[in-house]
Amino acid sequence: MSFDLSLIVETVPKMLAGVGLTFQLLGLSAFLGLILAIVLLLMRISGKWYLDWPAQLYIYVFRGTPILVQIFIIYYGFPQLEFIRESVLWPIFRDPFGCAVVALSLNTGAYVSEILRGGVLGVDRGVLEAGEALGLSTTQRFIYLTTPIATRLALPAYGNDIISLLKSTALASTITLMDMTGIARTIVAQTYAPYEIFISLAIIYMILTFFLQKFISLIEAYLGRYTKRES
Amino acid sequence: MELLSGWWDDFFWGSVVVAQVFLASLVLMVIFGLIGAAAKLSGNRIVQKIANGYTVVFRGTPEILVILLLYFGSAITLTWISRLFNPDIKFVDVPPFWAGTVAIALIVGSYATETFRGAFLGVRPGSIEAAKALGMSGLQVFFYIRIPEMWRLALPPFGNHMLSLIKDTALISIIGLNETLFVAKQAIGTTGKPFTMYIVVGLIYLGFSTVITLTVMALERYGNHTVRAR
Amino acid sequence: MISPQPLIRMQNVGKHFGTFQALKGINLDVIKGERIVVCGPSGSGKSTMIRCINRLEKHDEGRILIGDTELTDQIKDLNAVRREIGMVFQSFNLFPHMTILNNLMLAQKLVRKTPKAKARDIAMRYLERVKIPEQADKYPVQLSGGQQQRVAIARALCMKPEVMLFDEPTSALDPEMINEVLEVMVDLAREGMTMICVTHEMGFARSVADRVIFMDAGEIVEEADPETFFKTPQHERTKLFLSQILSH
Repeated sequence: MSFDLSLIVETVPKMLAGVGLTFQLLGLSAFLGLILAIVLLLMRISGKWYLDWPAQLYIYVFRGTPILVQIFIIYYGFPQLEFIRESVLWPIFRDPFGCAVVALSLNTGAYVSEILRGGVLGVDRGVLEAGEALGLSTTQRFIYLTTPIATRLALPAYGNDIISLLKSTALASTITLMDMTGIARTIVAQTYAPYEIFISLAIIYMILTFFLQKFISLIEAYLGRYTKRES
Repeated sequence: MELLSGWWDDFFWGSVVVAQVFLASLVLMVIFGLIGAAAKLSGNRIVQKIANGYTVVFRGTPEILVILLLYFGSAITLTWISRLFNPDIKFVDVPPFWAGTVAIALIVGSYATETFRGAFLGVRPGSIEAAKALGMSGLQVFFYIRIPEMWRLALPPFGNHMLSLIKDTALISIIGLNETLFVAKQAIGTTGKPFTMYIVVGLIYLGFSTVITLTVMALERYGNHTVRAR
Repeated sequence: MISPQPLIRMQNVGKHFGTFQALKGINLDVIKGERIVVCGPSGSGKSTMIRCINRLEKHDEGRILIGDTELTDQIKDLNAVRREIGMVFQSFNLFPHMTILNNLMLAQKLVRKTPKAKARDIAMRYLERVKIPEQADKYPVQLSGGQQQRVAIARALCMKPEVMLFDEPTSALDPEMINEVLEVMVDLAREGMTMICVTHEMGFARSVADRVIFMDAGEIVEEADPETFFKTPQHERTKLFLSQILSH
């Protein structure tokens, strides 16, 4: 058994060619997932059962099933349904990239909405009461008090979810997409050198994770500036 | 429903495989997590570094990559080792069950490491000091104060780790484990109904998740019965 | 002497938390410029009573009128009533993510629709009155408890309220910081602000209160001017309470 260094030198650039696709999947799904999460959050804290219950059911289903199954249902399963094939959304569901983005967004939205809810529930009730006593309306309290404080509280958990999302993008390779993992799997199938290829790729992902984490802690430090006793 | 006739038993046995992988990986995950936490809490710098490396690697790498690496990698390694003894061996196959089980246990174990470590450190030093001041022995403090307190702190995240494990079992179908997702693929081959089959898989997993969630809730209620005063 | 219409009128007010009756049969009129101190053992309903006045708690029996407006579920603009009632909390409740200045300006801008520059002037004026203008650009966490409470008082005053409610404003403070907050409150009282203060600071009650109210078990047990209240309390419960609180 040997560890072929020249193979690594040769294949790493090939895998890095897929980093663009990985980032597209990550960026788009993170953005769409966040919007979905905010909608779900508003439904959950609306105090109206006909909004709260569907949101709870959604979160329960999407957190209770594997993301891979969700990807397969959308990519392989949806074409079975005629109304989807005839809908205006068909171009999205016909395309593996569209399916991956939809599945990842739907999945991360469920997790993130619970993270955001944790932040909202963590806001000190006294602070909201003070706003109430000053005559701020419910909407004003939500915008000026709850949102900024909850954002800071939710950010560490949100950062972890973004990293989970980065790792989940690798599953796009199971529906023919040539992201970094997809390329790596093709190369391994040809060279049969799993150690060299997969370990190199793992290191690439770890570097990406590292930078994502750094970026998130920068935002955390900025948002948390008012929690430090020394200015 | 009639679509599924002839596939019920396959899905049932697929679910059994899911349950087996889950239970085996659960045991391993706890072991990895405890070793990792002990290593991080140990005074030894080198041991701490290794444990840190373990958590960084397995939390920063996509799950599917770990599974593929362990499956193909261990096959190659085992083949190489066998050839040392018998040059005629062409290829040693590693059962996807064990490659997959160890892989997801390693991944989730890296998260459990932090959970166990946090729970150990989260025990209020005051309780420990009070117990010592009352004359309890080290072992008594450990079993009567530390363990129950840790249990209470670790249970909610531990429930999430179990949910991660059950969901990660689906990934093992990629290396050919005959669990439910694998069964669905075969069923689709003959019936041509991918949506129906994958929905069945989704429902099976939702069932597993529900059972785990309810179990954890029951355990939490039991674990918190002492601190629910108000 | 003409008796002016009371600013706050509570008529037979009751309040339940589940089966627990927190307030029963509260009758209280507060006229403009009056300074009232409410005391009583913990759990006696004093906080609940003043929290009902700006409807942070909803009463479920009787009537509460603020000026001509009755507090009911049908009330159209509760926030219009609330901006006339300033409130200071035991735990300060400053907005942690805003500078001191922004704490003072937020409600002015949003509720009073005061232009920014003017809101800033008003904020600075009140910060000077509570003697901490130099802290304007800091965050609450960087201030001591006494300073935070003074900011909280200034924040409420910026809204130019008709009445100020104080809910145990010094209970969360270290002893050496209590006086700096009480001084601000005494100044405010001297200027004629209508005030209802839940507090155990009996020195404060003696020097500024027009009336002292003693509550126990959700009821007003006794009310009198401070002189009478401290020298010749009528009820056993009042005597017991005073002996406990004044003995040290």
